[in-house]
Amino acid sequence: MLLELRDIEKRFGGVRALRSGNLRLEAAQVHLLLGENGAGKSTLMKIVAGMIERDAGEMILNGHPVHFRRPAEAARAGIAMVHQESLLAPHLSVAENIFLGTEPGRVAGFVDRRKMMNAAARLIEEHRFPLQANWRVDKLSPAGKQLVEICRAIQHGSSILIFDEPTSSLSATESEEVFRIVRSLRERRMGVIYITHRLEESRAIGDQVTVLRDGETVFTGPAQGLSIDAMIRHMVGREVTQIYQRSPLPPGDELLRIEGLTRKPLLDDISLSLRAGEIVGMAGLVGAGRTELCRTIFGLDTADSGEVFVAGRRLRTRSPRDAVQAGVALIPEDRQHAGLARALPISHNMTAACLERVSRFGFLRMKEERRMVEDNARKLRIRMEGPRQPAGRLSGGNQQKVVISKWVFRGAKVFLFDEPTRGIDVGAKVEVFETMDALARSGAAILMVSSELPELLQVADRILVMRQGRITGELPGRTTQDEIMKLATLESAS
Amino acid sequence: MIQRLLPFFTLIALFVGLSIATPHFLTSTNLSSVIRQTAVINIMALGMTMIIIAGGIDLSVGSTLAMGGLLGTMAMESGAPISAGIAVGIFTGLVCGLLNGLMTTRLRINPFIVTLGTLGIYRGLALIISNGLPVHNVPQGFSFLGEGNLYAVPFVLWILLLCAVGVHVLLEHTRHGRYVFAIGSNPEAALYAGIAVAFHTTAVYTIGGLLTGLAGMIEASRLMTGQPTAGQGYELQAIAAVVICGGSLRGGEGSVIGTLVGAFIMGLLANGSDLLGISPYLQQAIIGAIIILAVAVDELRKRRLS
Repeated sequence: MLLELRDIEKRFGGVRALRSGNLRLEAAQVHLLLGENGAGKSTLMKIVAGMIERDAGEMILNGHPVHFRRPAEAARAGIAMVHQESLLAPHLSVAENIFLGTEPGRVAGFVDRRKMMNAAARLIEEHRFPLQANWRVDKLSPAGKQLVEICRAIQHGSSILIFDEPTSSLSATESEEVFRIVRSLRERRMGVIYITHRLEESRAIGDQVTVLRDGETVFTGPAQGLSIDAMIRHMVGREVTQIYQRSPLPPGDELLRIEGLTRKPLLDDISLSLRAGEIVGMAGLVGAGRTELCRTIFGLDTADSGEVFVAGRRLRTRSPRDAVQAGVALIPEDRQHAGLARALPISHNMTAACLERVSRFGFLRMKEERRMVEDNARKLRIRMEGPRQPAGRLSGGNQQKVVISKWVFRGAKVFLFDEPTRGIDVGAKVEVFETMDALARSGAAILMVSSELPELLQVADRILVMRQGRITGELPGRTTQDEIMKLATLESAS
Repeated sequence: MIQRLLPFFTLIALFVGLSIATPHFLTSTNLSSVIRQTAVINIMALGMTMIIIAGGIDLSVGSTLAMGGLLGTMAMESGAPISAGIAVGIFTGLVCGLLNGLMTTRLRINPFIVTLGTLGIYRGLALIISNGLPVHNVPQGFSFLGEGNLYAVPFVLWILLLCAVGVHVLLEHTRHGRYVFAIGSNPEAALYAGIAVAFHTTAVYTIGGLLTGLAGMIEASRLMTGQPTAGQGYELQAIAAVVICGGSLRGGEGSVIGTLVGAFIMGLLANGSDLLGISPYLQQAIIGAIIILAVAVDELRKRRLS
């Protein structure tokens, strides 16, 4: 037994994040940690990694009880964590990051740079990582940054490595690379704890599964033979029909038309059309230009050439403000940074895009605002304590609904959803889909950018595929993942 | 809740404590002198509140104050009526603020850098325009602005209250105010929501400049001179007044009430140490320590909440 967690408890103010966290990790084991957002996975792992202290319970590492007060203590005991959001020093090199805090030294605190560079290069070569020791970290992709964190863990001689949703921002090929590395870590007899939301992929690499629900370990057992439906059942505690299937509507008037939109080098001659009532999927690998397309339509980036028409009228965007006024809404991939003002009340967030509706001569009508906010929250089934609750305290799914409601409130006609289900619970995903469906039924046109192919297949009426800044094909909604991947990855036959 | 009210208790405790400690404190002369002394910083701090809520900072307010006071008194010296002179001072402040706002938003320079630059530029201009000499020749009636009484209360208190109510309404009851919070809390989300971020940010600096111009005229009226060297170091006092009671330099947080309480805490501390004969050298250190202590307590409260 490498690590055993017994009845770990943790409170944050009045909230009980963990009631009884239990987990047993063996050496040479990939241990999947599953659970909905807020189930306590990250809290439990932060306790293991010494980032927060537990209130009660036992933690036994290699047969000895331990208690970490700082990440450095956990690191010294051989525990490392690869974070969802990179915790590297962006302006330093790959090698400097790998050796941060353990630089090979000379006298008086001077660093032996050559020794450090060589050691880093050897480490990278040994694992066939696509990195160079002297690259600057801020130039790396999210996948590259994770590799650096993994290098760090190996270099520090860690025996336990924790991955917090490593593939959530990676493309399929990059994910494969992560799997390869995880397997090689297992061969080195390391214990790996792997938090993920992607159940399909998790079965490919997991040996053992532990499921947390509401701060309690509710299931633990071998991954083999455990169906995805069973995993979901443990996670949500009830039967959930994971298979959502939208029934398409007859499309109405054309609401968005794009002709030859180009922004070198990311977008190359993009043309597409969206009709009222339609949900059009947009597939492609990370870096194919899908997010850039949304940003350019929305006026965050300027196009070199090409035109955008909204409901037949040419849209001249110099800023998102113009797009918003024309009825275009962007629900960004990065909700935390671009979608919500987390510290502000839910009500402020909901009405931010359309204060004109609740004000007169520039003065706010508070009662009117409150009424409309409560009305909207009910319609979208947002679970909140009240309109004054800070938006950042909601769960991921409810945060997403607040972002959507901002645009419903504004009466937007064209919705650009960029990865709408990222970091959202299984149960809440279906609600997000239902909200999108309701929007389409009320006459909106929706472009849904997603890397989750099963979700695109469930929701989209038709699917556009992008590769290297171009649209490489259009597929009907009932296509297969293979067809999409072919268009997303392969050179065209010509 | 108790911790949120801590600044109010501190203010009351200071007030009560000083009343007991020295018989010279609770006299109408002393109290109105506290009000007059605090009003200048207080009015500047109201503008600073908006700027800090919007996620910005204005280090140039001390120099802006000098510019406003100087140009206003120069107008009077050259024969303009008192009201026109005051208007010139206020307008000067407004222009200084507008320039700060435009440089921050159009050139996309960090406001700390912009206003650090204009702190020097405005001060330098004031010295050049005046040749380094104060303007003495102002009409007698001008002293009413800073030293007069209305209904037995210092006239500046009425001005202060009017400004405070105005800024409060602007922040809490108008679209503009809501946008200011949104921009300060998450500028990117504000941009995505289609808010005219540059316009509202510039507006905030402009309003801040206007209030500082007014404060400059009050300062000039109290001294009955236009001093090109007036207001040095005031920027730190104005920022301190905002952050003592909950304003956050990260943006998105702050209130008019908090700023008023903050400014009065500092005013009472200065006045109290004067009355108790504490050396002015020590005073500065005490006020500095209070700032750090107040913000530390506030951070503790927030951490416990999250």
